[in-house]
Amino acid sequence: MLNITRRRGERVVLGDDVFISILEVSGQTVRLGIDAPRSVRVYREEIWLEVKRENEAAAQAAGASLPTDLPAPLKSDAGESLRSTVVNPTSPPSQT
Amino acid sequence: MALAIESTRFGHVEIDPETVIEFPDGLIGLGGTRYALLTSDPTSPFLWLHCIDDPSLSLPVTDPHRFFSDYEVELLDEDAERLGLDDATPVDVFVTVVASAELSEFTANQRAPILVWNGQGHQIINQAPGTDLRAPLFAEVMGSAGDPS
Repeated sequence: MLNITRRRGERVVLGDDVFISILEVSGQTVRLGIDAPRSVRVYREEIWLEVKRENEAAAQAAGASLPTDLPAPLKSDAGESLRSTVVNPTSPPSQT
Repeated sequence: MALAIESTRFGHVEIDPETVIEFPDGLIGLGGTRYALLTSDPTSPFLWLHCIDDPSLSLPVTDPHRFFSDYEVELLDEDAERLGLDDATPVDVFVTVVASAELSEFTANQRAPILVWNGQGHQIINQAPGTDLRAPLFAEVMGSAGDPS
């Protein structure tokens, strides 16, 4: 890992267009300012990690068929404008 | 011409290219920039967000409003600006679902909903207070057990 010492008010540049400023240092806390193009997503690591883990858990947990005998929904409006592809849940997966 | 994928979950699937949703940033922590919604039962509340680039990647999603009466999404101003969204943009909201053998153990991630509009999708961090990373999905529709108050 690259290890750089910076003082308050100094910056680090990643590539040509991501600038990280040291705004404030106070005890155990460092306040950073991040200036990056719109295409660069910036997360606190713990939030990024927990969402990544939930996404992976969602992708791994389910079988091909989800229960259909369900309690009545409260309401629904999302997705009705979106077209989905109907698949056969009983069709054998390509690998078993 | 239909896009054909060999899904590890559903076998051979043909997808109308017009139904493809572009995820320029993928899903958080997962790869893939093109997804499509699949359903094995059009009456089911669950849809499969299936990656087209990776035939082994698909995850169940649902409309959070079916299950959570007071669910809201709030964006950081920076995210709204980055995505070109404002309150007038009609957006479909989905949450990812972790399935289980028991309905009572199904959870949904209220904290990182997936927004879809104009053929593109983005998973964002919800700034609304009180969201749960693993919200019991059926608590509210099955009775008072899920009442947060």
